[in-house]
Amino acid sequence: MKELKILLILIVIVLVGYWGIEPYAHSIMHGEVKHPDYEYKDIPKNIPTTGDPAKGKELFTANCASCHGLKNDGINPGMDINTAVASFKVVPPDLSNIATILDEHFLAYFIKNPQDATKNPKFAMPPMAQLSDEDVGHLIAYLKSVAKKDLDGKEITVEACGRCHSVKYQKIAVETLKDALKDYLGKVPPDLSVMGKAKEMEYLESFINNPQNGLPGTSMPRLGLTKEATEKVVTYLDNIADPHRDQRNTLGVWVLGYLVVMAGLTFAWKKKIWKNLH
Amino acid sequence: MAEEKVSRRDFLMYAMGGWAAVGVSGVLYGMYKTWEPLPEVKAQATVTFDISTVQPGEIKVVNWRGKPVFVLRRTPDMTQCKERSIKDEYTVVMGICTHLGCIPNWEADKKIWHCPCHGGEYDACGKNIFGPPPRPLDVPPFKIEGNNIVLGEEGPEYKQMKEKGLTV
Amino acid sequence: MKFMDWLDERLAVRQLIKVMLTEYYVPKNINFLWSFGVLVMLVFAILVVSGIFLLMYYKPDANLAFDSVNKTIMMDVEYGWLFRHTHAVGASIMFLVLFIHMARGIYYGSFKAPREIVWITGYILFVLMSATAFTGYLLPWGQMSYWAAQTITTLFEKIPFIGPDLVIWIRGNYIVEDATLTRFFALHVVFLPLLLIIFTAIHLYAVRIPGSNNEDGIELTKEEKKHGKGIPFWPVFMAKEFFVMSVFLIFFFYLVFYQYKFAMDPINFTPADYLQTPAHIYPEWYFLAFYEVLRGFFFSQNLGLIAFVLSMFIAAFLPWLDTSPIRSGKHRPVYKILFWIFIADFVFLTILGKLPPTGLYAWLGFVGSIVFFAFFLALPILSKIEKKKVAGGR
Repeated sequence: MKELKILLILIVIVLVGYWGIEPYAHSIMHGEVKHPDYEYKDIPKNIPTTGDPAKGKELFTANCASCHGLKNDGINPGMDINTAVASFKVVPPDLSNIATILDEHFLAYFIKNPQDATKNPKFAMPPMAQLSDEDVGHLIAYLKSVAKKDLDGKEITVEACGRCHSVKYQKIAVETLKDALKDYLGKVPPDLSVMGKAKEMEYLESFINNPQNGLPGTSMPRLGLTKEATEKVVTYLDNIADPHRDQRNTLGVWVLGYLVVMAGLTFAWKKKIWKNLH
Repeated sequence: MAEEKVSRRDFLMYAMGGWAAVGVSGVLYGMYKTWEPLPEVKAQATVTFDISTVQPGEIKVVNWRGKPVFVLRRTPDMTQCKERSIKDEYTVVMGICTHLGCIPNWEADKKIWHCPCHGGEYDACGKNIFGPPPRPLDVPPFKIEGNNIVLGEEGPEYKQMKEKGLTV
Repeated sequence: MKFMDWLDERLAVRQLIKVMLTEYYVPKNINFLWSFGVLVMLVFAILVVSGIFLLMYYKPDANLAFDSVNKTIMMDVEYGWLFRHTHAVGASIMFLVLFIHMARGIYYGSFKAPREIVWITGYILFVLMSATAFTGYLLPWGQMSYWAAQTITTLFEKIPFIGPDLVIWIRGNYIVEDATLTRFFALHVVFLPLLLIIFTAIHLYAVRIPGSNNEDGIELTKEEKKHGKGIPFWPVFMAKEFFVMSVFLIFFFYLVFYQYKFAMDPINFTPADYLQTPAHIYPEWYFLAFYEVLRGFFFSQNLGLIAFVLSMFIAAFLPWLDTSPIRSGKHRPVYKILFWIFIADFVFLTILGKLPPTGLYAWLGFVGSIVFFAFFLALPILSKIEKKKVAGGR
C-alpha cells in the first residue's frame, strides 16, 4: 500500500510536469491556429466562372500562352525556362490542372488581381486588366474543361508547391533555380520532405490556406487551393514524413503485449520468492 | 512440500528466462535487419542496358552491382560460340578473372582478354585459353527484353545456359 | 558443475558471487524507489545499444547530418526509426529516472556520512550525463539542435577576460559550424560515455562499502541485515527489481511507440539555419528548471549566469550543507516540508522554463529561483536546530 502511495505521488508529479511543458506550454506559445477559410470570403464573387470553353481557348492562346503551357491540350509555353526566370524570377506554371486545384472564384479574381489575391505585392504575374469579366468566365470554362479531375496528393503537391519547394526525399526537385527563388522571395523556400513532422496538420492546412495566418509578412503567396486539394496536400506531406507509421503502431502493440506478459511473470516470481521471507 | 516449492520456482524461472530469450531474439532480429542493404543499394540490383548501342567489334563495360560486365559484339574474325552468346553475336561476361578476381584487359590486336595479374587469357567468348584461370569468365544472370538486357534477372535464355553449366 | 569448479579454481567465482550477490545484503525496509539505481543502468544500456546502431548510419558532417538522421535512419534503414525513437526517448527518460534517484537520496538523507563519496560521484555522473545529452542533442543538426548549441556556448562569452576567445575555441569557428558538430560528436560517442562508465564503476564500488541506506536512515550492521533486517541482493532484491524493470519498460516503450514527440521536438525537423532563429527556442525539459534560474534574474544578466552555474552545482554540496544528526527525512517533520516545497518549486521552474519570459512569468521565475536557493540555504540552519534538539533530548 505504501509503495502504491509513492507510485501515485510520482505519477501525479510526472503528469503535472508533462502537462506544463507540453500541452500547456505549446498552447501559450502557438496560440489558436486560425481556421482555414475555404470560401475565400475576402474575394469578390462577381466575376463569372462559366462560359464557352472554345472562346476560352482562343483567349488562352492570345493572352496566356506566351508564358504558360497547357500540356493537357498540347500547348507549350511561349518561352523557355531560362527566359521565364530572367523575366519573372520564377517559372510560370503549366495550367493543365489549375482549375481542379484552385477555388474557381479565387482563380477568377486572381487573373485580374494576382497581387491582391495572393496577398503578395511582389507576385510575379502582371494583372490581366485587358480581359473583361466575361472573358475570364470563358477562360475558366476552358481551364475546367481540360483539367484532370482526380489528382492525388503527390500530383497536387508537385503542381501547387513544386515550383518553389523541393521534396528531396521523394526525389522531387524544385523547378525554379535556387538563386532566382532567393532573389524573388528573399530566401530559399524550405524543403517539404519532413514538413509533416515539423508542423501539425492543422497548422499546415491553415498556413496553406493563407500563409499570412502562420507567418505574417511571409513572401509565400496565397494559392487559393480548394479544401479538397489542401487536405490532399497535407495528408501527402504527413504520410511522406512518417512512412513507418503503420509498422510502428503494429509493432508497438506487440512489444507492449510482450512486456505485460513479462511483468506478469516477474510479479509471480517476486511473490514466490518474497513469500518465504517472514 | 519442499520439492513442490522448488519445482514451481524452477518453472517460473524457466518461463521468465524463456520469455526473456524471446524478447532478446526479437531485438537481435531488429538489429540484424538494420544491416541489410539500403533501398537505394537494392535498387542497383538490376541494370538495364541497350545492347544494340554496341558496334560490331566494340566492347562496352556496364557497371552491375559495382562490378564490371563486358558486353562484346563479336565480328566474324573472332572466336565464335553460339551456346555462350546472346543473340548469337554478343558475349556478355563478368569482367572478373576467375583466378583471383583482377579485371582483364581487352587486347584488340589479338582479340583476347589478358589478365594483368597473372597472365591469364580468355578468348572472345570468355573461355580461358591460357594461364592459371580455372574456368571461363562467368555469365551474369540476364533477361532479354527486345534490344535491352536486364542484368540481375534470370530470363529463359539464361536458365537454359545455366542448365548446360555454361554460366560459370 | 565441473565447469564451475574449473572456473572457481582460477577466478574464485563462487566467492565473487557470494560477495557480490547472494551474501550482499540490502536492508529490508526500502521501497521501490531504491530500484531506480538499477533502472538508470538499464536505461544507460539501452542508450548505448541503440546509440551503436545509430552510429552505423549517422554522418557527423554539417552537410550530411540532417539527412543521414531524417532520411537514412528514419526512412531507409529497417527499424532505423525504432533505434532513433528509443535513443531520443531514452535520453529524456534517463533524466526522469536520475531525478527520482537523486530525490530519493535527498529525502532519505542518503548523501550523508558515510556516503558522501557515493553522492559526489553520483553528482559527477549527473553532470557528465547532462554534457552527454547536450552534445548529443546537436547531432541531428536541426534548428533546435543548432540554436541550443549556439546559445549555450554563447554563455561562456560572459566569463571574464577569456570568455570571447573561449567561445570561439569551443566552437572551432565564429559560429556553431561543422567543426563544432564533429567535436561534439566525438565527445558524445567516445569521451563522455567512457567517463560515465568509469564513474559508474566508482559509484557502485562506493555504495558497496557502507551499503544502501534505508527508509529510517538507521545504519544496520551486516549481522543485523543477515538476520532478519536485510535481504540478499540475489535473488530476493533482484526478484523485485525485475518486476519494477518490466513495469518501467512498459511505460518506456509506450512512450517510444506512441508518445515520443516530447523527446523529438517538431522544430528540430527543420534543418539548421544559422541565419534564422526559430520563433521559440527552449532546452530539453530536463534542463528547463536550471534554464529558468538563468532567466529568473531577468534584471541582471551576470547575476542570472552566476545563479545558473550555482543551481547546477549547489546540490553537490548537500553533505556539507545538511549536517543534521538525523539522517532520514521520514523522521524530520520540518525537513519534509522543505523537501516538498523544493520538489514543487523544481516542477514549477521546469514548466516556467518553457513559457515565454515576459510579464508575470518573469516575476514568477524570479520567485521560483529564490525558493530554489532558499531550500539549500535553510539546511544549515535547520541542522543547527536539530542538533540542539537531539543533544537536549538525550
